Amino acid sequence: MIRKLLGFVIFSLAGAMVSFGPAIATPAREAPWLPDAAAYRLTLFLGNLEPLPWDDVEAAWSEPYRNSEFSADALTWLGEKSDIETGPLLDAMARRDRQSLFAAATRLMALRIEEELGRALDVDDPARAQQAVRTAGELYRAFADGVAAADPEASRRIGLAWLELNSSTGSAGVLGAGTTPPDRETMVTARAVISDYLAENYLVDNFAPRQELSPLPETALLSGHDIEVPPSLPPGSDIFDQDPLPLLVLNFEAQGIDETDLPLVAYGDMLFDSAQIFGSPARDLGIACSTCHNRSDVNQRLFIPGASHQPGAIDVDGAFFNPIFNDRRDDPLDIPSLRGLRFTGPYGRDGRFASLRDFTRNVIVNEFGGDEPTPFMLDALLAYMLEFDFLPNSMLTADGRLTDAASGAARRGEEIFNRPFVGLGDRSCASCHVPDGNFLDRQAHDIWSASPAYEGARAGAFDTPTLLGTAYTAPYFHDGSLPTLAAVVDWFDETKSLDLTDAERSDLTAYLEAVGSADEPYETFDAENTSFRLAFSELTTFASTIDTLLPRRDAEHILLLTDTVAADLSADASTMSNLAGRPEVYALAERLAQVGAAVRAGDWETAEAHWTAFRDAADTIEERAF
Amino acid sequence: MWIRLSRRKTLILSVAGAVSLGTRLAAQEEGLRLAFIPQENPEKLLGDIAAITGWLADQIGVPVEGFVTIDHAAAVEALRNGDADISFMGALPFVLAEAEIGAVPLLSEVYRGAPNYTARIFVRRDSGIETLADLGGKDIAFADPISESGYLYPLAEFVEAGLVAGPGDADAFFGRIFFAGGYQQAMQAMAEGLVDAAGASQYADLLLTPQQQAEVIWIAESEPIPSHVVIAQPGLDADLRSRFVDAMMRLNEAGNRDLLRYLYGPDGYVQADPAAYDGVRDMARRYGLLE
Repeated sequence: MIRKLLGFVIFSLAGAMVSFGPAIATPAREAPWLPDAAAYRLTLFLGNLEPLPWDDVEAAWSEPYRNSEFSADALTWLGEKSDIETGPLLDAMARRDRQSLFAAATRLMALRIEEELGRALDVDDPARAQQAVRTAGELYRAFADGVAAADPEASRRIGLAWLELNSSTGSAGVLGAGTTPPDRETMVTARAVISDYLAENYLVDNFAPRQELSPLPETALLSGHDIEVPPSLPPGSDIFDQDPLPLLVLNFEAQGIDETDLPLVAYGDMLFDSAQIFGSPARDLGIACSTCHNRSDVNQRLFIPGASHQPGAIDVDGAFFNPIFNDRRDDPLDIPSLRGLRFTGPYGRDGRFASLRDFTRNVIVNEFGGDEPTPFMLDALLAYMLEFDFLPNSMLTADGRLTDAASGAARRGEEIFNRPFVGLGDRSCASCHVPDGNFLDRQAHDIWSASPAYEGARAGAFDTPTLLGTAYTAPYFHDGSLPTLAAVVDWFDETKSLDLTDAERSDLTAYLEAVGSADEPYETFDAENTSFRLAFSELTTFASTIDTLLPRRDAEHILLLTDTVAADLSADASTMSNLAGRPEVYALAERLAQVGAAVRAGDWETAEAHWTAFRDAADTIEERAF
Repeated sequence: MWIRLSRRKTLILSVAGAVSLGTRLAAQEEGLRLAFIPQENPEKLLGDIAAITGWLADQIGVPVEGFVTIDHAAAVEALRNGDADISFMGALPFVLAEAEIGAVPLLSEVYRGAPNYTARIFVRRDSGIETLADLGGKDIAFADPISESGYLYPLAEFVEAGLVAGPGDADAFFGRIFFAGGYQQAMQAMAEGLVDAAGASQYADLLLTPQQQAEVIWIAESEPIPSHVVIAQPGLDADLRSRFVDAMMRLNEAGNRDLLRYLYGPDGYVQADPAAYDGVRDMARRYGLLE
């Protein structure tokens, strides 16, 4: 599925994420966080993980956050931009005292905002004053979602104060033209609104103990009301689809069968892209199966601090997604491709699930904290996932031999691949990666690729992965520790004493690259065949299952569909290059939401009328949906 | 103030690193100095500047140095005092710079096929506001008082509609007028319900979250506004100017288009047509910014 393609949308107020109904799988690209604000948000996020990754917390302050547009880390940045003491923060980290860390970091942020507000009032030059107000506002963003969740009235009051402050700093104009003097009285009044709130809520001497670290204002916490700040990912996170987008090969589609004629598959396709089947926080963050396994392949860019040790890896049984399933082991796994899934069982990196159905349920319920899926949902998901095919590769025959299209080096490598080695127990690479069995043997082997978890442990066996399509799924091994196929060859050569020459290593690598290659690995887009057109086509296909569900009066599954698809369709409109076409798509999404509303009300006749209207409108809009 | 700041920034932010400030003549012999206006993050802009000035230096055959100024005014000041030869600029500051220091337009940015865009008045879909007249007594956020699409042109829609007598009389029509500091801030203020409307670039709704975009509509659109422009100080050597323009035009070639993202991300450039700015000049006069 394709749902996370937003290229240029940015927004800066975390509070802006707060107010929507069904989760959508279209994340917006955030405006860059200032280094100190980013470190604070990372501290809150990491501080809620159990066990608390103190090294990561320290790195949040001493290293630039991942993909930061600022080269400086937060401490260096503070040293350059601020006179605020970082001693209490460093002390809390050294003592590994979570509550002190929260208190020191929160006060530091509040003091930074105060510092910038003070600068705005101290300077005469409107441009510098505006810059200081802008910086203060960007720092306040670190608290904004907490204030919005706890106290909408205060959030509004402070929002207006920022507007007042911006407006009253005046303008230097250009070369004397358009000069507006600052209105100091208004500036002071507006600043006081912000400063008073900070003093009461974030510049507190003794913060009440925090069960959960969040930007919730102190007064809200002391009120005793149960207020939840909507989950958010910290700076440095990346849940966007990779670019270029992997090509999805579905068996039925390659045979010319229309997905709308396969309602169970289409419904499963929808579920694969629905965050609604998971629990919070995944659901609220728009994380779906397709977030990690985009287009049945892997999302090499996915990264969540504290849960990923490198891009394309995630610890799904850590503290973040479902605390009850937290295994308290820092063991993120490289995301596996799901291509050819019906040939690659058993499932899980160590092959612990013989049944794909059991594995899928485990993902939904345990890893991501979702409700128990219905049998229909599991049937649908399986029906869809079992259609995932390997990428066609003209360098390979059906039984896994190289064709004439492969290079001479690859052919020489093919011989090495099939050659028995003493270091492999007189077996060859092909013994496990069986060429006429999709390059796997459906068994788990311990090849010493993982360190034993404890002395004497026999727990390092992993399911043999296929080699098909692997040219596009780097890095390699269960933990993604080897960056290239050449590194994999080197690893085997060294650890298994294969005694390969340089030339043989190069040839074997060429062979792996040929086996792992594909004729068309990625989707191609152009001016009208856009990512949105693809999304539109998929979403309307999902919706087509209503044709089957409406006559069955299957309210539960219709609502799951309308909640997912209406929200996604509306959100995806933001990615359209045909900007003028957006209102039609919004109206279409609204029509689908009306189907859901009618079903919710038990008014099946109205639901059918809205559904008919949706189908007609979708047909009309289709050519403009790009 | 501007001059001091601009020079300090030049020294701190110099991409070439080795080029010190000198006389006008010396500067031209040494190469080109480009002033950039910050958008979100001046530090990121520095990285972008390094990439684009390196490429331009290769293309033009002279050292090219770039630096970030605090705002448009500082960039114009840099052109006037000789700190910069060329600057990236909005259409309104350009016509002011043209009037004051004889700045020359060289290239116009192209977005979605045109070197112009519009300003719009945005409101929340559920606000019940359908016409400009509905905004009488209500609050509006603009981007900045020295902004063509973020103030002058959207306000002119109200003048055109007979709701506001002239640029100085807007207070009588609206409840409150805010200058939020930028398109995004103005749009956020509207989307979050802090104000009833926002006046900003036609593309400003793309700065909202996907969900917010669905909740926002526009009720008025201005006449076309020339897009942002690359301008030169009038004394810039004609040959150097021409080589710079040629190099910039090569950014439109398929192999070079990736570099556009280092330059505010337009779709390309066309050579600027000075007459295209007549509307902005008129608008600036109406607002009393230009004599």
